[in-house]
Amino acid sequence: MKIRANLAIGGGLTVLAVFVGLFGPWLAHTDPIMDANLMNAELPPSGEFWFGTDQQGRDIWSRVMYGAQISLAVGIGSQLLNTVIGTTLGVTAGYWGGWWDDFVNGLTNLMLAIPSLIFALAIMAILGPGLTSLLIALGLTNWSYTCRISRAQALSIKSQGYVQAARVLGYGDLRIMFTQILPNTLGPIIVIATLGMGGSILAEAALSFLGLGVRPPSPSWGSMLSDARETITTAPWLSLFPGLAIFLTVLGLNLLGDGLRDILDPQSRSRR
Amino acid sequence: MNRLALLSGIAVATAGLLAALAPVAEAQGTTPRKGGVVRMTAPYASSFGNLDPHMSGRSQDGQVHMTIHRTLYIWDSAKGAPALELATAATASAGGTVWTLKLREDAFFHNGRKMTADDVVWSFTRLMSSGQGFVGARWIRLVQGAVAVEKGEAKEISGIKKLGEFEVEISFTQKVEPGFLFYNMTTSILPQEEVAKPTWATNPVGLGPFKFKEHIPGSRLVTERFDKFYKPGLPYLDRVEFPIMAEASARDIAFRNKEVDTSILGPVQYVAYNNDANLKKNILEVAEVFTRSMVMNHGVKPFDDKRVRQAINHAINTQIIVERLARNKAYRATSWLPITVPGYDQDMKPYAFDPAKARALLAEAGLPNGFEFEWTTSQNESWGLPIVEAVIPMLAQVGIKVRTKVVEVAVLTDLALKGEFQAYIGSSQTGPDPLQTLRCFHSATPRTSCNVSGYKNADYDKLLDEAGTTDDPARKLDLLKKANWHLYDAAPVWFFNYNKAALAYQPWVHGLLGNPTELVHQYPEFIWVDATSPAK
Amino acid sequence: MLGFVIRRLLQMIPMLVAIALLIFVLFSVIPGSFATGQQDEGLGLDMAVVARMRAELGLDDPLYVRFGKYVQQLATLDLGVSFRSRQPVIEMIGARMWPSLKLTIAAMAFAIAIGLPLGFVAALRPGSLMDLGLMVIAVSGLSLPKFWLGILLMYLFALTLGWFPSFGYGQGGLSHLVLPALALGVSPMALLARTTRAAVLDIMNADFVRTARSKGMNEYRVVVWHVLRNALVLVLTTIGLQFGSLLGQGVVVEKLFAWPGIGSLLVDSVFQRDIPAVQGCILVITVFFLVINTSVDIAYKLIDPRIRYT
Repeated sequence: MKIRANLAIGGGLTVLAVFVGLFGPWLAHTDPIMDANLMNAELPPSGEFWFGTDQQGRDIWSRVMYGAQISLAVGIGSQLLNTVIGTTLGVTAGYWGGWWDDFVNGLTNLMLAIPSLIFALAIMAILGPGLTSLLIALGLTNWSYTCRISRAQALSIKSQGYVQAARVLGYGDLRIMFTQILPNTLGPIIVIATLGMGGSILAEAALSFLGLGVRPPSPSWGSMLSDARETITTAPWLSLFPGLAIFLTVLGLNLLGDGLRDILDPQSRSRR
Repeated sequence: MNRLALLSGIAVATAGLLAALAPVAEAQGTTPRKGGVVRMTAPYASSFGNLDPHMSGRSQDGQVHMTIHRTLYIWDSAKGAPALELATAATASAGGTVWTLKLREDAFFHNGRKMTADDVVWSFTRLMSSGQGFVGARWIRLVQGAVAVEKGEAKEISGIKKLGEFEVEISFTQKVEPGFLFYNMTTSILPQEEVAKPTWATNPVGLGPFKFKEHIPGSRLVTERFDKFYKPGLPYLDRVEFPIMAEASARDIAFRNKEVDTSILGPVQYVAYNNDANLKKNILEVAEVFTRSMVMNHGVKPFDDKRVRQAINHAINTQIIVERLARNKAYRATSWLPITVPGYDQDMKPYAFDPAKARALLAEAGLPNGFEFEWTTSQNESWGLPIVEAVIPMLAQVGIKVRTKVVEVAVLTDLALKGEFQAYIGSSQTGPDPLQTLRCFHSATPRTSCNVSGYKNADYDKLLDEAGTTDDPARKLDLLKKANWHLYDAAPVWFFNYNKAALAYQPWVHGLLGNPTELVHQYPEFIWVDATSPAK
Repeated sequence: MLGFVIRRLLQMIPMLVAIALLIFVLFSVIPGSFATGQQDEGLGLDMAVVARMRAELGLDDPLYVRFGKYVQQLATLDLGVSFRSRQPVIEMIGARMWPSLKLTIAAMAFAIAIGLPLGFVAALRPGSLMDLGLMVIAVSGLSLPKFWLGILLMYLFALTLGWFPSFGYGQGGLSHLVLPALALGVSPMALLARTTRAAVLDIMNADFVRTARSKGMNEYRVVVWHVLRNALVLVLTTIGLQFGSLLGQGVVVEKLFAWPGIGSLLVDSVFQRDIPAVQGCILVITVFFLVINTSVDIAYKLIDPRIRYT
């Protein structure tokens, strides 16, 4: 029952977030950047402005709707990059072994030792704030766990009988990796990626707080929340709605990831 | 005589304005109480950079320097002019290029030694020593022979002569008002023997009313009363503490919780505190000498065309941005000089919000369909991104499209000084010396010195050149006013606002002064707390 | 055992050099320099002073020269001198290390004190409403931005209720530690709850436990002795990994609460381009992380002698 509850709630919230991400522009009422009327600054929620207005007089409902695209882009994009890097390094390291394995191991240790937020911060400082910089920064700093897991999987699978058979038959390395090893690592990788998406969205909020997030006036939830932190007592709706949006989306992704783990990764119990 | 006339001219010109903006300072009828502690928050950064006043020009470090160190002059906020401090008398000769300064004979360093003329000579020489990046060198460079020391060609500054145990004669390369140079804390007088110690960086020793007690980096710094301070009966307080609180929301909570005694207010808190019947009674406001503007690069088309620049000034509804975004915690800028600086003309009206006129001017300049430019900005809430976000739709109305480039402040400064920008929004210090401020638009001033826009105009240069050489204070004031009007018409920048600094303080704190050069820079010997203070 | 420890320590050295090189290269391409970062407002920089600053700090030397000098210094455990305060970096970091450790330990203590029992209780009745409820609470802890949580905590406990001071280090007392530790500790608490629950569940169903039960052993003894002891191994891993990441995550909490730790020093140094301070901080954090990892591995061996290392 727990498995189904996790998947149900998590899946539901995630689908909601994706739905808003896809249809946000249609659900929104106004343009999130250009429709700024200072005369309407900081109005509480009302019939016209469902979530109220922000310091620039922009409709918060519309900004939250558009913001879903950015947050999901950050989450999905960075995890995609993480997964590609991690899986490539991990599978090849596990399969080929030798000096390449040692090198990848050392690199992974390096990445694990440096706090990822700081590393991302340094990269953002170099590239300057912006969505692409954020994707690169988060994508380059969080692949270590994926790498470890896929390497472990590659190691255990490569000694299996069918893989030996494939080699005898003359299948090339790359083909074996793609057709035999990769499909078997997908389960845990998907779990890590789902959980990682939530982490990326939170990291975006943290980086916005530190001053190096998505380039405003783009309506990212993280920067909306960070900008509103001074007005928590005077105009709570400025932070409440983006905060809720982040919370529900990340919660959904986390629950979904948990649920997926229970299905896709039966070995996970002993590992976690 | 010369100096006195000029000073009174300045005083008269600003007295009226300052009266209207006068700080809510002393409480009437109550006598200052000796003892107690004041906790002044350091609001600009999460740590103190450098406790050596020669090395750091940052505002936050300045707070501490003003407590522990002293300079030849201080800034007299009531008069709006520099006043003698470690120097007791100053006489000019040779057309204002040579000054003889008599020094205090009762100033002691915290280690017990008396200050003499040797300390002044040593401190100024140290500032120019080659190989070290002392920020204060900027002010000493005008002394004859200083540049030679900087280049390593000489060991001593030829322009500083010790005339006696407590008397020095300083020769400058041009006519100056030494008060404007030496009120800066980066020219503090330091004890040579303490600077030589390896503990100097963590244990500063100076001439100020309080001596260093403890520093927890990133958290707070504590100073305690120096009993041999030269002003009789001062300081009142036992201790001055600086809790570091860069995060405005946290500072607000701490202030309301009575855990700190002062707090600088940002625009949001400014409104909130003014709406609270209790808190609004204790807000100290001052018009600071900073002008916020969008600086246009005149080397980039179409910003070289005056009509385009004027159009931009007309297209932006500056008034509403000041009211809504800055929440009236700013004064609408009319031209370059801010309100409290001599040369400001009260009769000047700011650019009218007139999009139709803007479009007409653009058409005249050959751009009927507008144009596009890149606006570089930082994330600062008062002169950064939020302002840009509000202006973008306004410029779009007249056909001007804007791309934003958001960078950190350090990067912004870098780009500005290199000229690698089309337009950027920032804050410039525009006082307290109006001539120095206006020189920023002189064609001989390089971009790296302060002519960031690259403005060149021969008529303007003539006005300033004459103002620099004239001995007639009335004429000088008139020329400065004319120069300011010239800038109004030429609109080298979009005139945004002059800063209004607001400091909230607890009701038991007295003696705070409205320092227009920087409100958190308080001379702590005048501060006292009454018996209702909860701090121990 | 001793050989293992020594080998691990030796492995650290090339890693530290690699990290130093990485940071060096990163910061050589970063725009904005130390000198321009020294201006708050007003653009009143004097270019001659900037030039002298650059000369004094050696910023104009070519990259390999600077790196060579740095590695030489590292060999003598000299982390260089901070650009900002001209103080030896090792002194600066030393002053900030204890508050950071205190915060991290307090956060971990909170995480363990709440997370472990939470996960344990949830595992006792898997699939029940209580299990679901507890897990959702735990996961919520992982879904909140830390600075938002921190401000809410400040507002509730400091301003409204007045139970704790809202910021700062105070005299190093406990009351100042509570709110920051809470804000930082919520996410490792959640992680620990999940890990514990999974580990306990796993072991409860394992063969040897069933054997013990079928032998008629006291249920209580079964649970406490076998389950806990084996779960401890997995929990220890999480603690080890979390400790390192907490030092980094503490940055946001430190900035918010004006906590004088190494995290906020690091972020400030990045923004002010104080390169020696940045490198020093990262190296010190890395060393700590590696030391903790090694300690966790040693603890493993002590708990479960069956585990062997190559």
